[in-house]
Amino acid sequence: MKKLLSLFGFLVWSWNVSAQVVLKVTGEVNTPLQLQASDLKALPHTEVRTVDKDQKEHHYSAIPLIELLKKAGVTVGGQLRGENLVKYALVRAADGYEVLFALPELDPEFSTRTIVLADAVDGTPLPAGLGPYRIVVPGEKKPARWIREVREIEIRFAK
Amino acid sequence: MLRWLILLSSAVVLAFNLRNDTPYTLTIPASFGHRYTIPADNPMTVEGVALGRFLFYDSLLSKNNTISCSSCHQQNRAFTDGFALSIGVNGRTTARNSMSLANLLWVRHFFWDGHSPTLEDQALIPMAHPDELGLAPEKAARKLQQTAFYPPKFKRAFGTDSITPLLMAKALAQFERTLISAQAPYDQYLRHQYTLTAAEKRGMDLFMRTSNVAKGIRGANCAHCHGGAQFFQNVFHNNGLDASPLDPGRQEVTGFDADFARFRVPTLRNIAVTGPYMHDGRFRTLEEVIDHYSEHMASSRTLSTDLKGPMHLTSSEKKDLIAFLHTLTDTEFLQNPAFSNPFLTQ
Repeated sequence: MKKLLSLFGFLVWSWNVSAQVVLKVTGEVNTPLQLQASDLKALPHTEVRTVDKDQKEHHYSAIPLIELLKKAGVTVGGQLRGENLVKYALVRAADGYEVLFALPELDPEFSTRTIVLADAVDGTPLPAGLGPYRIVVPGEKKPARWIREVREIEIRFAK
Repeated sequence: MLRWLILLSSAVVLAFNLRNDTPYTLTIPASFGHRYTIPADNPMTVEGVALGRFLFYDSLLSKNNTISCSSCHQQNRAFTDGFALSIGVNGRTTARNSMSLANLLWVRHFFWDGHSPTLEDQALIPMAHPDELGLAPEKAARKLQQTAFYPPKFKRAFGTDSITPLLMAKALAQFERTLISAQAPYDQYLRHQYTLTAAEKRGMDLFMRTSNVAKGIRGANCAHCHGGAQFFQNVFHNNGLDASPLDPGRQEVTGFDADFARFRVPTLRNIAVTGPYMHDGRFRTLEEVIDHYSEHMASSRTLSTDLKGPMHLTSSEKKDLIAFLHTLTDTEFLQNPAFSNPFLTQ
């Protein structure tokens, strides 16, 4: 009986862990997103090669942020005009650190670089402290916006 | 007709005077910026702040009328109490160290684990906690209602003399938002009104800089977490106190394993008078704190990525850092009569 109970407890625990919301996309969106790890895994990924803080080139596997914005119904592409140009994405990390991107920075119709949400580097998942999700901004000289442990992307209007 | 108009305007003036909700103007230091929120349903008024100050210092808010908010948040210690853990109404200790109440206007998550999003939400929690004031806020409201002193003060502050926990929290929050500390020697230095000593200047450079071996730059990079004009960032970190931490900290709030043993990064303003240090008050002196960051970082699975590897500061570098930290002591804040016990100055 005790064994059965422990098995049940383990199953509940593992369900909780696997069902945990790991990334939210909120704010000025048509469809707020509460994504689990499996949802993110299923999104289109791209490969990004960029030089990291250690001055070496690394190979990131990542979701272009534009894919998340499209999924949430953010005003990108043809809708990124007029007052929508003063919208921004506030990206928030587990520790409370926050950085900001103006929407045109994330939209391939405006920008030539692809800002991404990475989940693996050089073939392995991002380690604790950096991952599971980290923003990578290829070509940015200072990595202060390579925000680690991303938990939420909030779309806001500048007021 | 004219008489009616005069009567009507007198009634309006009288009604206004009964409430007396004079807006309270905060003086915001330019360097602190305006990234703060005052809830729309709790605008600051002179009467609300004054009422909050009385409540803050009133032991009626405790179960046996022995302690008040000010018992664990004493002005001359930048609103801390000098103990590792505070002693509550039942003689038992609190779970964590009493936090300084300076510049709360810019704090986005209250308590060491950040479980309160606003000062209004925060204010009643220590009141109800059995190891703090130990009195249900509803009971505290009833006690205040039975006095002759408080109902008129609530009437002036909020337009009603019917005292509720929500109004008590609003008044306390208004008072706490006035506790701004920005007149330390460091602030005077920024305004070119104070010259740092050589040790203070060396300490400031160490505090602000990142180490760069290639360029021969020594840096302790304290500013990475304790930077900005308020000397804190609104972030939570595991700062390597234990290899097997006992207190889960922020994890209890978020449920994420990655938040285990993370705690809020507190302000370093007035740090020389707010010891003992850390969420459990384990370090008595600033020397012990600096030694910890320099040599005794304990590794665990959630140790902050920014704190991996010892700094090995020299003894003179440690002294310089401490000299700089002393420039953050704001005597004006510690002695400002507007923040003192109003029952003693009435």
